[in-house]
Amino acid sequence: MITLGAYLILSGIIFSIGIAGVIASRQVIKVLLSLELLLAASNLSFVAFSKFNGDYAGQLIVFFVILVAAAEVAVGLAIVVLMYRHLSTIQADELQTMRW
Amino acid sequence: MPSLFFGFFATILILASLGVILARNPLYNVLSLVVAIFSLSSLFVLLEAFFVGIILLLVYAGAVLVFFLFVVMCLGLKSVDTPSKEQNKLRSLGALAGFLFAGTFFLAVQSFIKAIGMGSSSIRGTIETIGKVLFTDYLLPFELTSFLLLIALFGIVSLSQGALNTGKASETS
Repeated sequence: MITLGAYLILSGIIFSIGIAGVIASRQVIKVLLSLELLLAASNLSFVAFSKFNGDYAGQLIVFFVILVAAAEVAVGLAIVVLMYRHLSTIQADELQTMRW
Repeated sequence: MPSLFFGFFATILILASLGVILARNPLYNVLSLVVAIFSLSSLFVLLEAFFVGIILLLVYAGAVLVFFLFVVMCLGLKSVDTPSKEQNKLRSLGALAGFLFAGTFFLAVQSFIKAIGMGSSSIRGTIETIGKVLFTDYLLPFELTSFLLLIALFGIVSLSQGALNTGKASETS
């Protein structure tokens, strides 16, 4: 039988991979993808706690997290497309002004 | 048998998420995130959270990541990661942060597992059970998410409107 600890450690590994990606990557698209990894890791631990705690709240929170992530990705990718049009690059360190 | 499946999908999940941050081509980043989401959904099914698993597949792999693919294809991104000195510094900083987090998390989980011994329960997250809880106890948050999506829609429309206006201004000037 798989224990709660195995799921939590797996989610921790995925979360740390996501953190490394957010810090190390310069392309904005890669940063957004790593943010998706962070959300996925937290979803995994929510579902694992829901199963081992006998409570449906964890799975409902995952449902809401998916909704929020969809909104975040829509706005984030719109900003990425705008950035590409204005600066014709998506390197994060080219964004040096607050407005254009 | 379940532990065999767990090991299989966990290995795929870790490898695919390493691919998300290590692959040079943005297309491969997005595609390995699709693989990661598929194996995450299989892990949800192992945890008997069927509804959330299929929603994850439909919404994430079906809509969000296809959207990512659209953007990557439309922008025609090549692998522009030139390994400069600054980039190497960022890479080592990122790896350091990841390892630090993994270490502290591992220690925390160990002490937590010793403190609380949770056994597996018999809940099954089917559409029926999830729907019952969603439309009774969590009705208000569920309705509020519609406002969130509406506000995101307004944000995107105003962003693209600004882009259209500036485009016209630069054409006329």
